Amino acid sequence: MVQNSGSSTPHEAFEGLREMRDAYLDAMSKAMIDVVNSDAYTKATGSMMEGYLSWATPFRESLDTIMRQSLEQMSLPSRQEVAVLAERFTNVEMRLDDVDAKLDEIARSISELSVAGEVASTGEKKSTPPRKKAPAPKRVTSRKSATSRKAPAGKG
Amino acid sequence: MSIGMTQAAFHPESSALEERWQTLSRVMTTKAAIAQTPKELIWSLNKARLYRYVPVVSPEKRHSVPLLLVFALMNRPYILDLRRGHSFVEFMVNLGYDVYLLDWGVPGLEDAQLKLDDYILDYLPRAIRKMKSVSGSPEFSLLGWCIGAILTTTYAALRADGGIRNLILLTAPLDFSNRSDVTFSRWTDKKHFDVERILATFGNMPGEMIDYGAKALRPVDNYVLNYLKLLDNLDNPRVVESWHAMNTWVTDNIPMAGGAFRQLIVDLYQNDRLMKGELIIRGERVDLNRLRANLLTVIAQGDHITPPCQSEAILTKIGSTDTDLYRVPGGHIGIMAGSGAHKLTWPYIDQWLGSRSQRN
Repeated sequence: MVQNSGSSTPHEAFEGLREMRDAYLDAMSKAMIDVVNSDAYTKATGSMMEGYLSWATPFRESLDTIMRQSLEQMSLPSRQEVAVLAERFTNVEMRLDDVDAKLDEIARSISELSVAGEVASTGEKKSTPPRKKAPAPKRVTSRKSATSRKAPAGKG
Repeated sequence: MSIGMTQAAFHPESSALEERWQTLSRVMTTKAAIAQTPKELIWSLNKARLYRYVPVVSPEKRHSVPLLLVFALMNRPYILDLRRGHSFVEFMVNLGYDVYLLDWGVPGLEDAQLKLDDYILDYLPRAIRKMKSVSGSPEFSLLGWCIGAILTTTYAALRADGGIRNLILLTAPLDFSNRSDVTFSRWTDKKHFDVERILATFGNMPGEMIDYGAKALRPVDNYVLNYLKLLDNLDNPRVVESWHAMNTWVTDNIPMAGGAFRQLIVDLYQNDRLMKGELIIRGERVDLNRLRANLLTVIAQGDHITPPCQSEAILTKIGSTDTDLYRVPGGHIGIMAGSGAHKLTWPYIDQWLGSRSQRN
């Protein structure tokens, strides 16, 4: 990069070493990918995990037992009891969420109805159509809604 | 005298070294400022949170179909909003999308029994209901990444009439039939991997074990080259800040709920039940042919976590007529958070989604 100087900077002196390092690590990377994809590696990690679990599982179980007994003696809820309580909270939360969604829906329906009412009342004020023809818009509305229901199904 | 002269001669070099050391210690010991795009919490259930990103485009210029981002269960979702100027979320919000993010949260021991069924049929539909209510749109787009793609695909097949218009899958591990090219399939083979014993010991699958599994796929790259890249570029603030943000995300490991992990291993990795049409979610069989949403699947050509063969077969199984497959050079995370993401993946997603996000 530096053209105007004949002497090499420390960075340039290390450039060759860096290239060697990169080439070595690149080769190592490829070799290690082959290693982790081999059956031998799978077996080795499987048995390492097995070895770890063979002492960790009983240790954890006995720790849980001691903890449960100690908590019981101190009249405190166990981890399992807290977990059950958390599950119940989540169920309550779900129900509240459903109620919230229904309230949203009701509020939306009310606002839609009030808008429709306002439109109808302003329409009545502007023109007073003969009463006999009143049901006609209803039929049009129902036909429209039937079309709009079909549309998504056709798309899908 | 001579010592003083030597010190003076080396002073610029030593101060540069000191500066590098300070940079190194800062990025190794602190967390980067991530997930900076302004958002508001609009819904929560147990540990899950639904955020809406504050729109920056006026309503008339905005795309009318909202977009929900669903990330994996075992990593933080802020990879989608990594840092200012380099965030997929920010990119989409600036283009006028109404963007929502579902954060599954960190499962505690009390959540060890949570299954994919719960995420797909309790959490996701409720979050979608809230998003529909807030956006006012009966239709929506879903983007699922990694395990998030399993959740969204399954949801889209089970609730095809629920208003889902577009489905975007990123590096989706859906096909587990090819056991020789998928390293995780080898490692989680029944003969060597006793999922029941692991879960009996830990309850949830520990984040550290998941992290080790992901890193061990490319040990030299993750444990050596990654740090050498930082050391070689300590004078380059652009590389340093990018590395810092990514390292913040990579080291922020979370466990995966035991029930969901069991299904991931037994139903998918060991028995490939989704593609075979044998996956049962809360008594319902997942029939991919029922999936009718427009589908874009993005495949990372250099993905070692989800090799391309796992994401290709979905196109032959679903009932959608509008499908697209986009192959991007890069790795599992790099295609969305790497330096080339804003030139390749993000614009492609925008181009595909934009034309399919207008109200009918």
